[in-house]
Amino acid sequence: MASRWWRWRRGCSWRPAGRSSGPGSPGGVGPRAAADARAQMPYFHFVKRLTSAFPNVYSISRFHHTTPAACCHSKTRSGEKYTDPFKLGWRDLKGLYEDIRKELLISTTELKEMSEYYFDGKGKAFRPIIVVLMARACNIHHNNSRDVQASQRSIALIAEMIHTASLVHDDVIDDASSRRGKHTVNKIWGEKKAVLAGDLILSAASIALARIGNTTVISILTQVIEDLVRGEFLQLGSKQNEDERFAHYLEKTFKKTASLIANSCKAVSILGCPDPVVHEIAYQYGKNVGIAFQLIDDVLDFTSCSDQMGKPTSADLKLGLATGPVLFASQQFPEMNAMIMRRFNLPGDVDRARQYVLQSDGVQQTTYLAQRYCHEAIKEISKLRPSPERDALIQLSEIVLTRDK
Amino acid sequence: MNLQQLLRLPRYLGASGPPLRRWWSPSLDTIPSVGSWRGQSSRSPAYWNQVVSEAEKIVGYPTSFMSLRCLLSDELSNIAMQVRKLVGTQHPLLTTARELVHDSRHNLQLRGLVVLLISKAAGPSSVNASCQNYDMVSGIYSCQRSLAEITELIHTALLVHRGIVNLNELQSSDGPLKDMQFGNKIAILSGDFLLANACNGLALLQNTKVVELLASALMDLVQGVYHENSTSAKENYITDDIGISTWKEQTFLSHGALLAKSCQAAMELAKHDAEVQDMAFQYGKHMAMSHKINSDLQPFIKEKTSDSMTFNLNSAPVVLHQEFLGRDLWIKQIREAQEKGILDYAKLRETIKAGKGVTSAIDLCRYHGNKALAALESFPPSEARSALENIVFAVTRFS
Repeated sequence: MASRWWRWRRGCSWRPAGRSSGPGSPGGVGPRAAADARAQMPYFHFVKRLTSAFPNVYSISRFHHTTPAACCHSKTRSGEKYTDPFKLGWRDLKGLYEDIRKELLISTTELKEMSEYYFDGKGKAFRPIIVVLMARACNIHHNNSRDVQASQRSIALIAEMIHTASLVHDDVIDDASSRRGKHTVNKIWGEKKAVLAGDLILSAASIALARIGNTTVISILTQVIEDLVRGEFLQLGSKQNEDERFAHYLEKTFKKTASLIANSCKAVSILGCPDPVVHEIAYQYGKNVGIAFQLIDDVLDFTSCSDQMGKPTSADLKLGLATGPVLFASQQFPEMNAMIMRRFNLPGDVDRARQYVLQSDGVQQTTYLAQRYCHEAIKEISKLRPSPERDALIQLSEIVLTRDK
Repeated sequence: MNLQQLLRLPRYLGASGPPLRRWWSPSLDTIPSVGSWRGQSSRSPAYWNQVVSEAEKIVGYPTSFMSLRCLLSDELSNIAMQVRKLVGTQHPLLTTARELVHDSRHNLQLRGLVVLLISKAAGPSSVNASCQNYDMVSGIYSCQRSLAEITELIHTALLVHRGIVNLNELQSSDGPLKDMQFGNKIAILSGDFLLANACNGLALLQNTKVVELLASALMDLVQGVYHENSTSAKENYITDDIGISTWKEQTFLSHGALLAKSCQAAMELAKHDAEVQDMAFQYGKHMAMSHKINSDLQPFIKEKTSDSMTFNLNSAPVVLHQEFLGRDLWIKQIREAQEKGILDYAKLRETIKAGKGVTSAIDLCRYHGNKALAALESFPPSEARSALENIVFAVTRFS
């Protein structure tokens, strides 16, 4: 049942294999098509319920009408040579980490060391890359200017700093021991100091934000800080109703992950271009890519272990969190609801839940949902004037889907 | 202050007209220095409350704990619910929460009060008339009131974050690990929630210079709290070797910076020039320093102190005592005051009182008090300025 509709193997670019030949579309004939259509219907009803519960979600009830034309999206309309988006973005981000460290220049040695810990140049800098690419794409769209303004580059730094500050605090909250292949700040220096390091990074980001001198941009990015906290609070609570749960999950996903990307994109577009239509395009791109990014992250929590020889992760389950794959799986296996309600805290819950998920099509459903968000992102960004940066952003949203961490 | 009272505020804040501007000159109205003032003879606590409640009348309403928007949020009821789960555990957040509730009942949001008073004392800027469109109530712009609340939010956020415990230092007497983990989680989230509200409040002020000031105050405060942790008593109660000048720097970070920069920011909001902003900064800084030294001195000047009362080995009198004595002699005294590894605070207190630490701490407190008063001289005489003076007198009286 799993791979009938699409193939999402890691490493290969996304292609909806088998889709165009018909078994997926409701107009298909034959017993196989009918079976597919029947299998399709419960999911469709579920999706219909959830889209009405959360109206801001891109209307995915249209999925069965559209052909997966995304592979025909405007790739190299700009005609320029296609480069790796990370390489393209890094041209503007040289010295990113050195500049962040300059913002953290304080006299207290150990606190400085702790705050600089994750700005070691080893991170992928996914968010800053999106920000500078968006900055260029908007600048080019507006007046063909290929320069990135200093203030826009500042936003890239600020986004990375806000993100890192929240990571430091999240690690204390989750009692995490490792991140990005090394020990967490809380494990090395203790929880008290780790919390202070997070606060320091946040204050440094706020100072940098103030120095840009634009009150609108300040308002947009302080909203992110609030969303991050609210997202954590959403994780604390849990909902009874199944539909509410999914809406709750998507809202949490937006607040914790997508808000930062969406609002940073919006901020650079404001700095580069006066047109509110462009601001909205930038925001929508960031939001959709952000949500897709998190959905795939949640999928990888289940799948990144099964093909590797290392031990399974299931980090989210262990924290009591019911993510996309789990929620979809609980549609097929209502027995999971009790476990979800008690946040998998009984012995054996985590493993059982994992088994249910892997038996179900939860992973596939979540991936498909991520694809829809990416589609939307690409649709939005394609409205901008062609440029290598715009194309890089299109490519990035595909990379979000196919990455394997 | 309960929700009902807060909801009645808009009508309560009737227009009281612009502040009475009197002609003044610095030579006519000098402020007496600290120590020469003869005021009420009552003991500190009641007198302090009187000073504070009179000050609150001047600014129009008792300083509230949090802005209305905050109070009505889901997160706050969520936090309250989670903190209740901590009842019965040893997590410091419970103590912090109790103190905050106690303080708000007694209206002791000192920083907010000072910001309001100095806003009123400075009045509108005579030079820059561009902010006439702000609404002014009791002589204070609404953006300045907002700033006062933001200051309290930042202060409270770090109070809460100070209460995080290191999990690997827990003893069995601290109770179950999961209680401490849960307490940490709530403390982090609550502090972050308060900081996020502060940031949003700052954004609403639409003034990037003020945002920068308060953000840098936050950075100072974080470093100050870090130092508090680092230098607190370690094994055998031997604290780090810091002299009084280092102590002053660290105390400025942990106690002075927030108030100083908030006062300056309040001036900026009313578009006062750099000189006025600096005077406000100086008042905030020195008043906060003398307030801290005063609270450090309490264990040493109270007549009746219980024998079990402990004191902070990094407080001003102790640091000064060590500086007079020299490090080696001080360590010797600490060891002598220990019995089977437990410090006899009463004994050590007597040792310190016998030295020069306490009196020089009192002198230092008065020094800062005088500096604060000197900064006030550049403000025109008014009720608000008198209230600010009285606050200084209250924290510098020791007899």
